Amino acid sequence: MWEALEQTGWVKTFGGTGWMYASVSVIHYLTMFWFIGSMAVVDLRVMGIAARKRDLSELATQLFPWAWTGMVLAIISGFFMFATAAGDWAPDPVFHVKLLMMGLSIVFAILVQMFAPKWAAAPEIPAWAKVVAAIALLLWIATILTASEIPAMEGLG
Amino acid sequence: MHGLLVGFAKWLEGTPWGTGVRTSLWAYPFTQLIHFTGLSIWLGTNLALDLRLLGVGKRRETAAELRDDLFAWNWIGFCIVVLGGFLLFSSTATTFLVNIAFQWKLGFFVPAALLWHIFVQWKAREWGTTQETPAIAKFSGLAEILLWVCVITAAVEIPNH
Repeated sequence: MWEALEQTGWVKTFGGTGWMYASVSVIHYLTMFWFIGSMAVVDLRVMGIAARKRDLSELATQLFPWAWTGMVLAIISGFFMFATAAGDWAPDPVFHVKLLMMGLSIVFAILVQMFAPKWAAAPEIPAWAKVVAAIALLLWIATILTASEIPAMEGLG
Repeated sequence: MHGLLVGFAKWLEGTPWGTGVRTSLWAYPFTQLIHFTGLSIWLGTNLALDLRLLGVGKRRETAAELRDDLFAWNWIGFCIVVLGGFLLFSSTATTFLVNIAFQWKLGFFVPAALLWHIFVQWKAREWGTTQETPAIAKFSGLAEILLWVCVITAAVEIPNH
């Protein structure tokens, strides 16, 4: 199935055309930095070490829509890159760890967004909220690490 | 000047950190992690301000408020980027030095984007006091986004040269 995807007409054209693959790589990096950075600031705000004088829910409302937009673009561009060598990527164990880390990161990002208004309304941001935000942040860092490990360990990408 | 740069690059490769990042199996991806984590914080906060100046997305905060909120972590991110980038460069400095894409990246686009960013961040306090930003703010925000796109494009092209 993955080999078949790799052999699809548009995937072969896309993977074989230098500027197309490069453009999508640029989109992938740009949108990835953009959304992880936006989410990281909210996590740091929950932890009490960023933008302390700004109300948490105000900051979250400002940053989260950009973060989700960036993430969708990063996933779409990532899928294009994956498709060009789908047969190699799909069975790769380090890539599986990356996807797992990404999935967990998304779950925690949703938690932070869901609870942000509640935490902001409390007299003080609860300690468990800070733990959740710290885990969310660490999971994104773990996602970046596993992404960097793929070329180092598997020679892919 | 060129001789000096080459001498410096050779020296960097011979330093314990240059050799370490190059030869150790785990150090390279971890150094990349430093660079990419820094880039997420740095570019994430840059683009947030640029987009707010452009007027794209939510307008819960003014650009001036957002600029103040993001200022500290923006520059913390920058320091992390520089640390990771310096270590990556040290590992194979002589190869980077003669790479045309790297020359464009560090010799032109990074300084241009950085100076433009400082200008935008400085002026955002003045441009961003109202919900609707002036045309010059929109232009400046868009220009900064395009400059960072150029930086990333040059970076992506490094392995192809």
